[in-house]
Amino acid sequence: MKIAGSYTLPVPQDRAYALLQDPEVLARSIPGCDSLVKTGPDEYRMKMKMAIASISGAFDGKVRIADQTPPSSFRLLVEGTGKIGFMKGDGLLKLTSNGDSTDIGYEGDVQVGGTMAAVGQRLLDTTSKMIVKRFFDKLAAEAR
Amino acid sequence: MIPENFEYNAPANLQEALGMLSSQGAKPLAGGMSLIPLMKLRLASPERLVDLGRLSDLSYIREDQDSIRIGATTTHQQIESSALLRSKCPLLAGTASHIGDVQVRNMGTIGGSIAHADPAADYPAALLALDAQVHLVTAKSKRTIAIGEFLVDTFTTALAPGEIVQEVIVPEETSGIGYSYQKLVQPASGFAIVGIAVRLRKTGDKISLARIGITGLAHKAFRATAVEKALEGTAGTDADLQKAAASLADVEEINSDLHASAEYRRHMAIVYTGRALRVALSRMT
Repeated sequence: MKIAGSYTLPVPQDRAYALLQDPEVLARSIPGCDSLVKTGPDEYRMKMKMAIASISGAFDGKVRIADQTPPSSFRLLVEGTGKIGFMKGDGLLKLTSNGDSTDIGYEGDVQVGGTMAAVGQRLLDTTSKMIVKRFFDKLAAEAR
Repeated sequence: MIPENFEYNAPANLQEALGMLSSQGAKPLAGGMSLIPLMKLRLASPERLVDLGRLSDLSYIREDQDSIRIGATTTHQQIESSALLRSKCPLLAGTASHIGDVQVRNMGTIGGSIAHADPAADYPAALLALDAQVHLVTAKSKRTIAIGEFLVDTFTTALAPGEIVQEVIVPEETSGIGYSYQKLVQPASGFAIVGIAVRLRKTGDKISLARIGITGLAHKAFRATAVEKALEGTAGTDADLQKAAASLADVEEINSDLHASAEYRRHMAIVYTGRALRVALSRMT
């Protein structure tokens, strides 16, 4: 499934880029993230607990940052598995300066499998958009 | 498909239920039409269920001055067949008849449905068009908010931990109202690909009030205010209706899934809005 969208962060581009690379900020912003531990250069192990509607499940996963060209773009690779299914995502984030704030465009491919995909097809698109929005909303709150 | 172990509580009345729900890990169960399948798939594993479905003090349809109060565990079937709603709030009764299938309508409840907040559920469209209010309670507090404020996002409502929907309040319709709910159904799930609820009032020969609630199209049900504005003040000719419905072309962030692409959904939303508007006008009393 392709996902794409944009979000405006109310901080200058350098700061926006730095926030997106800061594991502590990411750990607080990623919805349901319990821990984010560095395992290598630009590689992290993530534990998260997702709760959407009545659905909840723990995921154990990896986050990797690649192709960094500060302060304008980087690639984010995420994968996670849990009892209710697995997910894998690969996305390119592009930052462009917009006065005192920064426009962040994202574009990527997400694969979701297992029980949650088998029964949740109808809702994957809406739900992934909501998770991305929650992430950026929290990031914007961190930025302030 | 067997759920994980959970504790089951059957409170005798609302107060007892609210007390049970105020503790950690407790999840309210109403008709169980969404929660039970999720539990059987182990997508949801609540520690404790508090069964509201057995509470008689939450199941009612009551006239109260100019409004109708509907208890949270009133089933879709009871709403669909209520003589009071059919005569004084036909949009809600009509919408209930489109939900799922007979089994779902016999078990599913209005409170459970809106608290689950599926972005393609039928009630939110009608409740938005009706300017409905939702009354929420916890063991210690109560409040009444507008349905638009209640529906926050996909599967997300304004309900606080331990809080439940006690009742839904809809206006009694006087004369001069036309209504319609038109739904493009996804047959496997019974949910709406798009669902359009329309409520129109005419004063003289002009449309004086237009309320359009749309479900299935975006991340949550919403009021199509651009369509409403385009209609109000017009005579409601076919050209007026077409033009108003066409303003849905500006809606952003439309859902896309394997049943319907965003482009198809948008197109069908325009077609079904036109249809709902025409039916609503033809029913104008």
